Amino acid sequence: MLQCIFIISNSGEVILEKQLQGHRADRSICNWFWEYAMAQGGELSQLLPVIASPTHYLFQIFREGIIFLACTQVEMPPLMGTEFLCRVADIISDYLGGLNEDLIKDNFVIVYELLDEMVDNGYPLITEPNILREMISPPNIVSKMLSVVTGRSSNVSTTLPVATQSCAPWRKTDIKNSGNEVYVNLVEEIDAIVRSDGNLVKCEIYGEIQVDSNLSGYPDLTLSFANPTILNDVRFHPCIRFRPWELYQLLSFVPPNGQFKLMSYRVKKLKSIPIYVKPQLISSSGSCRMTVLVGTRNDPGKPIDSITIEFHLPSCVTSADFTSNHGTVNILADKRCSWSIGRIPKDKAPSLTGNLVLESGLSSLHVCPVLQAKFKIMGVALSGLQIDRLDVKNMPTQPYKGFRALTRAGEYEVRS
Amino acid sequence: MAPPPQFQRSSSPSPSQPSGKSEISDLKLQLRQLAGSRAPGADDAKRELFKKVISHMTVGVDVSSLFSEMVMCSATSDIVLKKMCYLYVGNYAKGNPDLALLTINFLQRDCRDEDPMIRGLALRSLCSLRVTNLVEYLVGPLGSGLKDPNAYVRTVAAMGVLKLYHISASACVDADFPSMLKRLMLNDPDSQVVANCLSSLQEIWSAEANTSEEAAREREALLSKPLVYHLLNRIKEFNEWAQCLILDLISNYIPSDNDEIFDIMNLLEDRLQHANGAVVLGTIKVFLHLTLSMADVHQQVYERIKAPLLTLMSSGSPEQSYAVLSHLHLLVMRAPVLFSSDYKHFYCQYSEPSYVKKLKLEMLTAIANESNTFEIVTELCEYAANVDVSIAREAIRAVGKIALQQFDVNAIVDRLLQFLEMEKDYVTAETLVLVKDLLRKYPQWSHDCIAVVGNISSKNVQEPKAKSALIWMLGEYSQDMPEAPYILENLVDNWDDEHSSEVRLHLLTAVMKCFFKRPPETQNALGAALAAGLADFRQDVHDRALFYYRLLQYDESTAERVVNPPKQAVSVFADTQSSELKDRIFDEFNSLSVIYQKPSYMFTGKEHRGLTDISEELGNLSVEAHPAAEALPAQIYEANDVDLLLSTSEKEEVRGPVNNSSAYRAPDYDSTTAALVSSQVPLEADLSIPGLPAYNPQVSSAIDDLLGLGLSVAPTPAPPPLALNPKAALDPGSFQRKWSQLAISSSQEFCIEPRAVVALATPQTLLRHMQGHHIQCIASGGQPPSFKFFFYAQRAGQPPSFFLVECLVNSSSARAQVKIKADDGAAAGDFSALFQAALSKFGE
Repeated sequence: MLQCIFIISNSGEVILEKQLQGHRADRSICNWFWEYAMAQGGELSQLLPVIASPTHYLFQIFREGIIFLACTQVEMPPLMGTEFLCRVADIISDYLGGLNEDLIKDNFVIVYELLDEMVDNGYPLITEPNILREMISPPNIVSKMLSVVTGRSSNVSTTLPVATQSCAPWRKTDIKNSGNEVYVNLVEEIDAIVRSDGNLVKCEIYGEIQVDSNLSGYPDLTLSFANPTILNDVRFHPCIRFRPWELYQLLSFVPPNGQFKLMSYRVKKLKSIPIYVKPQLISSSGSCRMTVLVGTRNDPGKPIDSITIEFHLPSCVTSADFTSNHGTVNILADKRCSWSIGRIPKDKAPSLTGNLVLESGLSSLHVCPVLQAKFKIMGVALSGLQIDRLDVKNMPTQPYKGFRALTRAGEYEVRS
Repeated sequence: MAPPPQFQRSSSPSPSQPSGKSEISDLKLQLRQLAGSRAPGADDAKRELFKKVISHMTVGVDVSSLFSEMVMCSATSDIVLKKMCYLYVGNYAKGNPDLALLTINFLQRDCRDEDPMIRGLALRSLCSLRVTNLVEYLVGPLGSGLKDPNAYVRTVAAMGVLKLYHISASACVDADFPSMLKRLMLNDPDSQVVANCLSSLQEIWSAEANTSEEAAREREALLSKPLVYHLLNRIKEFNEWAQCLILDLISNYIPSDNDEIFDIMNLLEDRLQHANGAVVLGTIKVFLHLTLSMADVHQQVYERIKAPLLTLMSSGSPEQSYAVLSHLHLLVMRAPVLFSSDYKHFYCQYSEPSYVKKLKLEMLTAIANESNTFEIVTELCEYAANVDVSIAREAIRAVGKIALQQFDVNAIVDRLLQFLEMEKDYVTAETLVLVKDLLRKYPQWSHDCIAVVGNISSKNVQEPKAKSALIWMLGEYSQDMPEAPYILENLVDNWDDEHSSEVRLHLLTAVMKCFFKRPPETQNALGAALAAGLADFRQDVHDRALFYYRLLQYDESTAERVVNPPKQAVSVFADTQSSELKDRIFDEFNSLSVIYQKPSYMFTGKEHRGLTDISEELGNLSVEAHPAAEALPAQIYEANDVDLLLSTSEKEEVRGPVNNSSAYRAPDYDSTTAALVSSQVPLEADLSIPGLPAYNPQVSSAIDDLLGLGLSVAPTPAPPPLALNPKAALDPGSFQRKWSQLAISSSQEFCIEPRAVVALATPQTLLRHMQGHHIQCIASGGQPPSFKFFFYAQRAGQPPSFFLVECLVNSSSARAQVKIKADDGAAAGDFSALFQAALSKFGE
């Protein structure tokens, strides 16, 4: 199993080291890793997630400028390593309110404490955020204030979570909340590929049901959909009972306390996309005229917000200037263009025109940029998934129930 | 992009850095002052100091000199202070075993604390001290920890037993901890305790099984039906990581009948919906293994796991997608039709990292069939215009691979030809290589291709592989390309500008081919090419020029038959990965092997060993005698020249489509070369080739030996075929003496066949194999993937001369490095060829 975890900054400095087993992994492995990374071109996000060094097998993930590196010397399920590191990154980021070198350095004691509970002797142990929160409270303003006022500062709760003894490892039995409410949030991401000839090649929705539960005691919830058949594949939080889903497509569960991801799903082969993006490139003798048109294709019924179009100019373009009739265009240092449109105005279709100057010797542009669109639509789940009802049992009073939906662009790309 | 790594920053002016020794002694002083203090603010002050110490420790500054002060300060009720102190002690105890004794006292006291959290933490730290002579203090707290009323403490204790085992196996077994763990595993109500017991026991029994039969039995018992069912029935109570462990255990369980298989699968089916990818893959492994013997159910399992795998691939982070894609790739190799309708999932998204894109391209290549080829190729062609050049290249290669799979070739050829019109240098380069391979397989397309290829100016093609491909086509189809001889002549004129020997070799062959098709136009070019080739300082270019020259000298029609034999279209290009290897990897589903696409024996097996150990081991490789086998049938190996020539040409054929111009199917090769060998050719050149340099018999005789042609110019007779003494004997002492005396007469590196790599799993087989060829092994050693062998052989007849060989084989890179020393240096070339031929037959 895992032998050691290192947290490394994007300049190659070891921020933190946590040995997990009696047999220590030497820090020189980080030197090896860094040399390897530099030899691969230094692009940290392009490094293989699993690397074989001469002495160890390395798992690594790269998150916001921080590398999480774990090493092992024995054969093990690869996803156990990768998935665990992802959880570590998520939880640390959650605790510290972000990820960067200074945050980790300022709070390394908490990071050590977390790792101590998350993994023992190389075997992953507790990665459920709610339970970790009960054991180690996050560094928040309230606790900082308290420590200043009372002079006593301990971020470790004095009580152990008893959850491990109940048959629902994600919830302890005697939770008391002042609020009595539960929110269900449908968040969908639409992935689409539109080919240069305008054909929609692929359109898929990846959705999550996020629940924020502030209920006391031991509530039992049942969530039903109006149209569960549209779901192609689903993945569940461990709290969901499988049998009711299999028989009646009902989500029956005892929720963890606080926020959690109840379920994720995939809906494939969608036919309609909310907006169209039409790029056009016309080359003539050393320069290229680019125009992009954006408009609503299938009105989702709610306004489409924060529309942004981004693309990389090919390396053979030496300079470019763009003008648009709506929104602002920025060209960043790495030849990345970003056109922020916002909402589509009622009276006109936003358009972008520009002139690309090509490298000398090139008469026409053969490498075509890929345009990525970003947007979000509040109040709509584009897959059409509808929640029918939410029943709460085992509660003395009916709680407040809130429902929301949101669709945003995931990998929404248009090739030119 | 980033500055060089700074793992040990020594003098950088960061505020958290100690300015040297003074700051550490300063810390020491402050800690000492606080040690006995019971003042109200003492804990906070301590906490600040501890933080400083630990931050020094984290950046790699040695703060072990503060050990005793830290221990003195550890008498506190503050749990954060305790944790920091435990962390510090765990880090430095091993280096200070005497001082570590100081910590035992307070750790033991904490192990009896009334707060279970402190008990657990203290016990964990106690077990992490890793000091051998403190083991006696560990046994007591561990024993009570296993019986603790609180589950958290028991969890820690169960893992602690494993830690103790790694410090001192005997102490652990003597205290009867394994059987306590076993009881706990079967009876404890807490699932995490059970899981930790299981993982500890698995490791302990596996390690013990080598020495104790009882342990081996216990390890078997972990796979017994009652235990497996006990765990299976409770699997939902375990946390996700423990579920992975259990699934891994079950994948080795052999059910007694089909009903049992279905029971297990029904129990586990909902695990496929789990949010944790590791659990899903673990479940899939169990399913695949259980149903291996039931073909129809196995097929249903494939259908069932498809959707979860695709979801897993498209929903996780790129790192997770990569791991899942590697597994998908393996499954696709087994059942290509499975994903053929889901090909759109493998379309590349612009923002994905290139390692994911590459795997997706491989998937697209693998699942292409009649129904989806058009769509897939259309998509791949879009990538050819991608901003990412490496992906554009891979995409073009993928198109070529699909074309070679024989689906919809017509359309693909058209598209490839369109690539050539894009006039992008790398696109042209990749496409040329593909067009060449296509022509070898589908000669019927030559007409269309040649028309387009003929328009490409060789000046626009710079990459050696592409240039070679272009030259090959010019030579092969010179009768259909009016310009061919002149383009070739132009290339020959610029011989010196071309630095790749691969291109020069191809140029020689192409000019030869062209010469036989259009002699008058090519004669000048041929003369110039041969002259330039003979003057070339690269041995293989020189050799080939000489070989052609002599062929022409001997007989033009024979030369034509050698250079331009009737060719059959290549039906199957040799695949680099044999199905045997794939099967092995399949056994290791859900392991790292899948990601490297290699069976694990090729890269693991060096557990708990450092890099230095490996190199040391190779260095200290002692020469030990292997008894020479005498019982083998005394067949005399005729190192016939013809044999040698044939075996090398066969090898090239196998090695694949890249270096192919010399690998013809020549049905009459035998007779040609045999005729060459037996005849004596007069030196006088009857071919009038202008500008050919004077011919040097001394140089050529050595070359003759190397080529094994026996085509001797001087009156010296052809060297007799090399035969080896089947009963050669050499004792290790004389071997070492000879080895140190003789100079290296031949040193080579070459590829070995995948099947040989597989057979190398047991290196002994190689020794037996070489004995069959009368080459004895005197010493061998190494661990996978690096092996080292010392061989020797003796020439039959008089005078007896020995050949000594050092052979380094790396099974992960599939390369062998051979150094030969010989009593008779002149015969070393023959022997080297013989040795290589023998090695290439290994594993058959």
